[in-house]
Amino acid sequence: MSIINENMTSMEMLNILVDKNMEDARKAKERGELVCWSSSIAPCEFTETMGIHTIYPENYAAVIAAKKLAPEFLEHAERKGYANDICGYARINLGYMDLQKNLANSEFPLPDLVLLCNNICETLLKWYENIAYELNIPLLIVDVPFNHGNEVTEENIKYVESQLHDIIHQLEVICNKPFDMDKFQEVMKIASENANAWYEATSLCSAEPSPLSGFDMFNYMALIVCMRGKKECGITFKKLKEELEEKIAKGESGLKGAEEKHRIMWDGIACWPYLSHTYKVLKNKGANMTGSTYPSAWALKYTPGNLYEMAKAYTSMGNNLSLKGQTDLRKGIIEETKCNGVVMHLNRSCKMCDFLQYEIGKELEESMNIPITTFDGDQADPRNYSKAQYETRIEALVEMMEQRAE
Amino acid sequence: MEINNIIDYLVKAAESPEKAIKESCKKNNKEAIGCVAPYAPEEIVYAANCIPVGIWGGRVEITKARTYLPAFACSIMQSIMEYEIRGTYDFLKAVLIPAVCDTLKCFGQKWKGKSKAIPFVFPQNRRSKSSELFLENEYMYIKKELEEILDIKITEEALQDSIILYNDYRAAMREFVEIASNHTDVITPVIRHKIIKASYFIDKKDYLGYIKELNEKLRLLPVNNSDKKRIVVTGIMLEPDGILDYFENYGLDVVGDDLAHESRQFRTDAPFSKSALNSLSKRWVNHDACSLAFDPYKERIQYLVDLTNHYKADGVVIALMKFCDPEEYDVPLIMDRMKKENIPLQVIEIDQQANSFEQINTRLQSFAENMQ
Amino acid sequence: MKDRYYLGVDVGSVSSKAVIMNRNKEIVKTSVVQLGTGTSGPKQALDKLFSDTGLSLEDISVTVGTGYGRNSLAYADKQISEISCHAKGINYEFKNVRTVLDIGGQDVKAISIDGLGRVLNFYMNDKCAAGTGRFLEVMARILGVNVDELENLDEHAKNPVTVSSTCTVFAESEVISLLSQETKIEDIVRGVHNSIVNRALALLYKTNVEEDFTLTGGVAQNKGVIRALERALNKKIYVAERPQLIGAIGAAIFAYEAKEERGKK
Repeated sequence: MSIINENMTSMEMLNILVDKNMEDARKAKERGELVCWSSSIAPCEFTETMGIHTIYPENYAAVIAAKKLAPEFLEHAERKGYANDICGYARINLGYMDLQKNLANSEFPLPDLVLLCNNICETLLKWYENIAYELNIPLLIVDVPFNHGNEVTEENIKYVESQLHDIIHQLEVICNKPFDMDKFQEVMKIASENANAWYEATSLCSAEPSPLSGFDMFNYMALIVCMRGKKECGITFKKLKEELEEKIAKGESGLKGAEEKHRIMWDGIACWPYLSHTYKVLKNKGANMTGSTYPSAWALKYTPGNLYEMAKAYTSMGNNLSLKGQTDLRKGIIEETKCNGVVMHLNRSCKMCDFLQYEIGKELEESMNIPITTFDGDQADPRNYSKAQYETRIEALVEMMEQRAE
Repeated sequence: MEINNIIDYLVKAAESPEKAIKESCKKNNKEAIGCVAPYAPEEIVYAANCIPVGIWGGRVEITKARTYLPAFACSIMQSIMEYEIRGTYDFLKAVLIPAVCDTLKCFGQKWKGKSKAIPFVFPQNRRSKSSELFLENEYMYIKKELEEILDIKITEEALQDSIILYNDYRAAMREFVEIASNHTDVITPVIRHKIIKASYFIDKKDYLGYIKELNEKLRLLPVNNSDKKRIVVTGIMLEPDGILDYFENYGLDVVGDDLAHESRQFRTDAPFSKSALNSLSKRWVNHDACSLAFDPYKERIQYLVDLTNHYKADGVVIALMKFCDPEEYDVPLIMDRMKKENIPLQVIEIDQQANSFEQINTRLQSFAENMQ
Repeated sequence: MKDRYYLGVDVGSVSSKAVIMNRNKEIVKTSVVQLGTGTSGPKQALDKLFSDTGLSLEDISVTVGTGYGRNSLAYADKQISEISCHAKGINYEFKNVRTVLDIGGQDVKAISIDGLGRVLNFYMNDKCAAGTGRFLEVMARILGVNVDELENLDEHAKNPVTVSSTCTVFAESEVISLLSQETKIEDIVRGVHNSIVNRALALLYKTNVEEDFTLTGGVAQNKGVIRALERALNKKIYVAERPQLIGAIGAAIFAYEAKEERGKK
């Protein structure tokens, strides 16, 4: 609590907290305490309760990709035999893990256990299998079956809930101490508050003009991914909300100096190696990314203490819904954030994001009369992007948006 | 029936799936229900008095499917989508689509054929007791869907009978692959593949009859002591035929397999349980050492080593389905292990759309040459 | 009264095209130079136009640039994407067309347009050469013929073979394989043309697929491809007399509209 204070901006808090989180994990590793690698929308409430330092490979891979340091790890993974069409995050992480295996001090410490929840994709199953096998460490899984029908079924929720109970038991065995139910209650309360704070801050994108650029939101995302169970996370987002409300009162656009002429929804993951370029091209056209699936992804709402509701929240997450569910989710986002165009990232690394993209796009286009463009990119592998291609497609989208505005 | 006639019949069925399916349906007065790769509770379909038909794609030029699937979707799904758009599967009353990977998850949401699509999902945390109950419910849902589409009632008795038949069939198949490994002169790589493939297009009861007889007759033949190289194959499937021809060209016998299309189908039986759906559910829970079923201890790797030793194989070939994520993650680990065990290994890429196999030709040839 | 002129310049990957239009929305002159972005192509295209018409940049009221090299035209007043320019240009040539298939040197686009040439939706190929003009060049090279000989060879095909439409490198090895089996060149050429069309159709079917259809871009000059497309769609394909110029024509129209139709809104 003492490392951040109310006088800082949310961005300052963000940077301090993200660094500190990694630093804490490194120190913990040195002290011989447990470090856990977790998938991005896994129930960290459990590891948090047990005092296990939880860090997130996807987030670290995104940081590596954004700093343009990915090629070394990608090449290493590929030399080991990993095909270049599997998830870029996985290749970076598995490459990193292999390189760090016999080294003492790692920036991103190697784990003593892993926790995975496959609500976001099934690739995680194979990725984490490999980590656990190579490092010979325990693997905790919350298997969240895909909701192939249009409703999230009772059976699905019950199965997930039952596994949440299993996790408690497994952690007790690994940590050789009882699971502190009181602490758990507290952590769940914090996590719930943080989910709310995240959603409330990011949904201010609905204002016209939006005070927040979606690309800035990508940066804040690190906090909700990495520190969802910690108080400071909520404090930062509350501060962000205040700052945004101030901007709204002044009519300030999140595009920093540019007039917001168009509002688009970004479908898919950020193009981390080219975040700046993807942002600038849009900004130059006065297009702000006001909509994306990220705000709702971590808005895991449940009554603290109610594991049934917790299970329901985790299994109802956006990626885990049927085609109709995913389409409806985006319709809602477009309406709420008042978008007049959609940019769909055909992400070479993520089959989950791509293989319903055409159908979703077509439905959005037809039912909402909204123009769409797609572009080829990659969340982490810099080889799968062409600046010229992106520029052309965004230009064409803007031209379509302008023409419809006439 | 003479061995050659049995083999001939099964090979022809494998080569003309639609014809074989329609003949089998006619003969048994049944409808056909499609089961998209890799796994399906065929017993439920069978108990509904239908013939479960395997949908594993095939050699087809991708033209229409590209509209709906980017180029980097796995080869088998590309083919299936192409066929379904062309209406090849429309004579099936329904199609079961399991969501075992990200591609199949999406795939099940966008069936372009006319048959009713029944997507379903397998639980992956099979060590959790509740996974059984979850799967039972999935199977219950499949059962209800089929009952509605076919306007019938699927009885518990029919299900139990179905399970018994299928367990028999699976046992006979395990026997077959064992026996076939000693008679590779008769059961060549191409023939072995087609005999197993035929199971997807014929009523299992009839098919079982053929396999039982084949097993008996094969046992009577002298064991084949050839100087060919004994190979274990692993992966999703080993097709098209062109590749199998190269196996034969270079003196590589397939003596055992860990293919989803072949042995993985009949490795695990449905254990006894008072409820048929529970028994089927347990079958999935017991299914191990497979890239498509959550495998935290990577038992598949040890299984491959054991399989190689069991068949006294000279080497292993990974038939890597192009763009198949679950398989691709396992490759580096298998490579490492085979190196440690000193087991020669070759990886070849499976592309159902391929018309020429020059690269595979070269790889298999040098693989065979190096295994001296 | 002084005449007003409008200039549209389309700088692509392999060629530069320019069109001058007058205030009556008539095309005054066009030029095509087979040199693309980053070369002297754009300048040469302009020089040709000006020397033929006696005009100069001073006579031009508005210039619009399009194509990959559009941002390098210092004198352009506006840059508009080739998608919008193609739509506009086609609408100028054929008022009845609603679906545009453009197969260029490196790009394939399928565009749905309305009666005024406005873009309703568009789809483009993923970053791969298969199905583009580049594909034809590669195939022609392996077959040992010139690209412009392909359409004649195609006419003589009797037993067309299948050539992969997924990957150029793959298709290359397929064709080499076919040649070593002594397959007739005409049959391979037909297969290559079918392959390009297959690739393009996958994009086309994502659009509204509304009649009438047109094929534009450099590859549209290849009658073998046109025939393959007509066979596949079973519909008449409108082909502009000057398919390569569509983008530049569209750009010129946008230049024209920027001034002449501003008051009309």
